[in-house]
Amino acid sequence: MATRGDRAAVDRSRWDRALDFLYFGSKALGKRLSLALLDVGAVAVLWILTSYVVIRVSTGEIGYTLLPWWLVALGAVEAAALWESFGRSFGHRVARLELRRADGGDPALRQKLVHWLLWHVGVIPVLPLLLAPPPHERASGLTLRPFTMEGRIPRPWWRTSTGLYMAYLALVSIVAAVSGTITWEDLVRLFTNAGATAKFWRSFLSPDTSIILRTVQALIVTVFMAMTATAFAVLVAVPLSFLAARNLMRGLIGRAIYTVIRGTMSIIRSIEPVVWAIFFLVWVRVELAPFAGVLALFVHSVSDLTKLYAERLESIDPGLIEAITATGANRLQVLRYAVIPQIVNPYISFTLYRWDINIRMATVVGVVGGGGIGQALFFYLKGNLWTQAGTVMLFIIALVWAIDYLSARLRAKLA
Amino acid sequence: MAEPYLVVEHLTKVYERGHVVALKDVSFEVRKGEFLVIIGLSGSGKSTLLRCINRLIEPTKGRIFIDGVEITKLSPRQMRKFRRRIGMIFQHFNLIKRATVMTNVLTGRLGYNPTWKTLLGIFPRSDRELALRNLERVGLLEKAYVRADELSGGQQQRVGIARALMQEPELLLADEPVSALDPATSHSVMQYIEQMNQEDGVTVLASLHFLSLARRYGTRIIALKDGELVFDGAPEEIDDRKFKEIYGEEAEEVEIR
Repeated sequence: MATRGDRAAVDRSRWDRALDFLYFGSKALGKRLSLALLDVGAVAVLWILTSYVVIRVSTGEIGYTLLPWWLVALGAVEAAALWESFGRSFGHRVARLELRRADGGDPALRQKLVHWLLWHVGVIPVLPLLLAPPPHERASGLTLRPFTMEGRIPRPWWRTSTGLYMAYLALVSIVAAVSGTITWEDLVRLFTNAGATAKFWRSFLSPDTSIILRTVQALIVTVFMAMTATAFAVLVAVPLSFLAARNLMRGLIGRAIYTVIRGTMSIIRSIEPVVWAIFFLVWVRVELAPFAGVLALFVHSVSDLTKLYAERLESIDPGLIEAITATGANRLQVLRYAVIPQIVNPYISFTLYRWDINIRMATVVGVVGGGGIGQALFFYLKGNLWTQAGTVMLFIIALVWAIDYLSARLRAKLA
Repeated sequence: MAEPYLVVEHLTKVYERGHVVALKDVSFEVRKGEFLVIIGLSGSGKSTLLRCINRLIEPTKGRIFIDGVEITKLSPRQMRKFRRRIGMIFQHFNLIKRATVMTNVLTGRLGYNPTWKTLLGIFPRSDRELALRNLERVGLLEKAYVRADELSGGQQQRVGIARALMQEPELLLADEPVSALDPATSHSVMQYIEQMNQEDGVTVLASLHFLSLARRYGTRIIALKDGELVFDGAPEEIDDRKFKEIYGEEAEEVEIR
């Protein structure tokens, strides 16, 4: 074995060795550079969040650093150098690496010092990282190795630097979030200004009876909007779901169709129905009419139902398909006797569930001008007609509660 | 002796994903009326072998003849027609859970009836009568209009047998028919299969986990190990040494009565 190895070394040209060196060098560059970037980034994020909290709490202004930016950058790099040399840094944790002596032992203090000092000349100019091993590791005699728990006692999180870092990061993020969204004046108003809504609440006890007829009409329009949207969505989503089921779409073309449909559906779904309503209001130019609202609900329902239906199709039992195929049935018969019996009840259940959602959504969609009861509510709120708004709310609550109850009962029966 | 009814020649199945070789060059013959039991550990290729015979799984290499027809050459359409002659029952019964026993049994006639009628759920009177006769035969006549998922495991497997009987098959493939059942029920189900074999002359290929069941019901046994045929002979020929060869050194034989 030894002779073969030696011969190989002799046979290989200088160019080969040079290429090897570069290859390993670039690998080392990628690994160590990403480590450094992770650690510098981690420190910088912590500093920015801390500064934000301090500035926000002390002055009420919005600011991101207490020091000049160049100083922050320098500090973050220095902190990363210290962290990577004297402890197991955030980057080490993420990459599951650790700094060890060549013989596998714990690094000595002197080695850590050398590693830290040479880190500045090794990592900051980037190019020395192309050497394998890079200068700071070569000089200190330390190397990065895959981390192992073998022969060690696990330390609790509060005794590791990364654990403390994460804890502090979580704390400072929450404080920053709270201080960024809530001011003292807001809190004071929350507790002293409740009386302003009294009219609204009072109308729950004594509704404005003169608008009941109009409200019920708007309510019916809302239910109709939801029904129209759901009915048309089912017609589109049922055939689409078969094209969006992974187990039915095999082969290259099948997989392409599957990917396109699933992708499109998830994009459509990620846009809120309210946004769709505004979009369709602009498109079909019908103001104060339910058509735009119906379109918005329809589009959103198609994407949602396609996903729900397709997931159901993906989880059907293939055994039944085998059994029906084994009797000599053709594809249509397999569909009728092996696939449909497994999906029909879930499909109906999903449709009911979506109809229930659509009624609630129709109210929201109405607020932007999509018609129905939502529009009525918006009209009264805008005109500061609190009593009437409260009356409308009362009807919305009753409707949503009733539909929720109804659809839950029906779905329980189908299960 | 007569021509062999089923001939499997150099059958190989490689699954594309993971390059798993499920069957390696398996060859054997079965005469009409035999009760052939296939034994072997889980993953030894028993299920794949059975599914290659009615081409629920497409073989990678090799040829299969049934009654002189090379089924590995049939077009999908011809294969569908041919499948009517091959009944199959499954470990997990594979019934339409939400449908009645009657509907489940009638699906055995799908290959014999026009598509449009079956899509509407219309079956001829003669099929319905046959279904009731077959249900009576497996002792489930009074359950005809009960939902399939309300039956016990053994009863569900008997519905599976009735469904296979509807095809009036010449060959029955039974893929671990009793593995999901308790010992007492196992024998009752096996006896219905034996009855099909002896009274109707149906050739049976059954994969079984327990050697004791294989010895009791099989007229011949073949054994698979890692996709290879390692034994082909009479049930009495399997002694302790053969047993260890098939199931591995650590295996102990368990009796099921």
